Amino acid sequence: MSVNLGGGLRLSNPVLTASGTFGYGIEFAPFMKLNAIGGILTKGLSLLPREGNPAPRIVETPSGMLNSIGLANVGVDAFINEKLPKLKKYKTKVIANIFGETISEYTKVARKLESEKGVHALEVNISCPNVKKGGIGFGTDPREAAKVVRAVRKVTKKHMMVKLSPNVTDIKLMAKAVERAGADSISLINTIPGMVVDVNKRRPMLAMKMGGLSGPAIKPIAVRMVYEVSKVVSVPIIGIGGIMTARDALEFIIAGASAVQVGTANFVTPDASVKVVRGIEDYLMEEKIGSIKKLTGSIID
Amino acid sequence: MKNASATILYNKPLTSGYYKLGLGWKNKGVRPGHFVMLRVSGGSDPLLRRALGVYDVLRRGQGIELIYKVVGKGTTILSNMEKGECLDVLGPLGNGFKKLKTPEKLIMVAGGVGLAPFFMLAKEHAKHGAKFLMGLRTKAEAKILGDIKATGIKVLCSTDDGTLGTRGFVTDLLKKEVKKDSIVYACGPMGMLKSVAMVAKEAGACCYVSLEGAMACGIGVCLGCAVKTYGASHKPGDTTYNMVCTDGPVFNSEDILWDELG
Repeated sequence: MSVNLGGGLRLSNPVLTASGTFGYGIEFAPFMKLNAIGGILTKGLSLLPREGNPAPRIVETPSGMLNSIGLANVGVDAFINEKLPKLKKYKTKVIANIFGETISEYTKVARKLESEKGVHALEVNISCPNVKKGGIGFGTDPREAAKVVRAVRKVTKKHMMVKLSPNVTDIKLMAKAVERAGADSISLINTIPGMVVDVNKRRPMLAMKMGGLSGPAIKPIAVRMVYEVSKVVSVPIIGIGGIMTARDALEFIIAGASAVQVGTANFVTPDASVKVVRGIEDYLMEEKIGSIKKLTGSIID
Repeated sequence: MKNASATILYNKPLTSGYYKLGLGWKNKGVRPGHFVMLRVSGGSDPLLRRALGVYDVLRRGQGIELIYKVVGKGTTILSNMEKGECLDVLGPLGNGFKKLKTPEKLIMVAGGVGLAPFFMLAKEHAKHGAKFLMGLRTKAEAKILGDIKATGIKVLCSTDDGTLGTRGFVTDLLKKEVKKDSIVYACGPMGMLKSVAMVAKEAGACCYVSLEGAMACGIGVCLGCAVKTYGASHKPGDTTYNMVCTDGPVFNSEDILWDELG
């Protein structure tokens, strides 16, 4: 079940938990063995703490949910001082998700994490608006995305995963741009922008009007994008989007992913990620497949 | 705190869309104001769990009893479930109401299904002279008060249509009952809670409210159920977000920025 994602990151199994759905990891210790999964992605970390958006911040949708949390987090310093020490007794890999509103914020966060042995990799969230560029998204312009990735690459020797937004015309261009800029692996997809209207009040359901759609509703889009990206890059791909069960995860792996992240399912069933691990193991046994590596990209097309 | 499958012991309609649900679900330390998250569907629609306040603990911790009202997709599915069926229950969650030093000063204020956290308190504090104020739409709904009345606690009702008790809002009852040294515990719709907080403040009484919030997880990680509160200094600029699920659902009403509630 072990997976080598390159850049010094080897996982005991291909199942990770997606950023923003797993807190700082320790919150899930009462419900599951953290060591049973390949690794955890932290809540997105910024240079300074962020309190997030006004409520309502979430609304349920058919087979999914919208969120506009606003990247609320304790900030990178509090993460290092208060959260990370509690994760040190676990063997599971800790991948710090980082973001900023300027390139220099990204690199400052990455630098602070560089000397922390308990952080095994970074995941760069490029879905943020670049405030210095008038709010244009780093994640929707291949050149801007490459700038961020190159800048973080210069300050980190850790494995650097880059998380792509699906909110683009051609995700392949984004993937190629971040690969060239030095990404060790590419994770996709982030949430898809959406909106729900309260018909009685004739208002948006969310205080920020729009939010990111996640959950089973987005899975086919995510599988398609993983498949497309796998055809044009050579770095490992981590599939994300609506994985509730092992069979969902297997779709991504067969379509080209080396590993997966379980997200919204953690809210519904706190030990969903462990069940995905067990289900993949069972599948490999039943299908008599020797290693997960053999399954990656094994789609017959 | 645990996530475990529970067997439905009973799921009986009470009146006007209200149901009482008994679950075989072993528990320890459940207190008034705690809640649980129920998964009503094994599939993906509805996707998220439903948060319900604990109404009572059954057979010394062998089970729990909940009261709910059918309002949407999740509660409709729940109302169609039958004795012997199973569902996942996560809990107990939240902080619950504080233990009281002066229970004789307690006034509980409930709107509709917001009575859930008060049955255990009524059983405990009826003998101390605590009071229970209930806001209903109409007399037919009063059936949900059966257990609470049976505790012997003093119950006052208001109805929207005047078919039972005082016509008007439950806060009108509170205005008459509240004193400077009262302790007000309230649970119900957001508009009602805001009015209760204002009435208590005017009277100089302390007031704790149990809030609802749109939440996905119940364990403080989705960060959906944010409520804006004053920081320790209580100055206008010193505010923060608290989570209904882990910091609440019970808050001191003075800590809440009522005008910023969604």
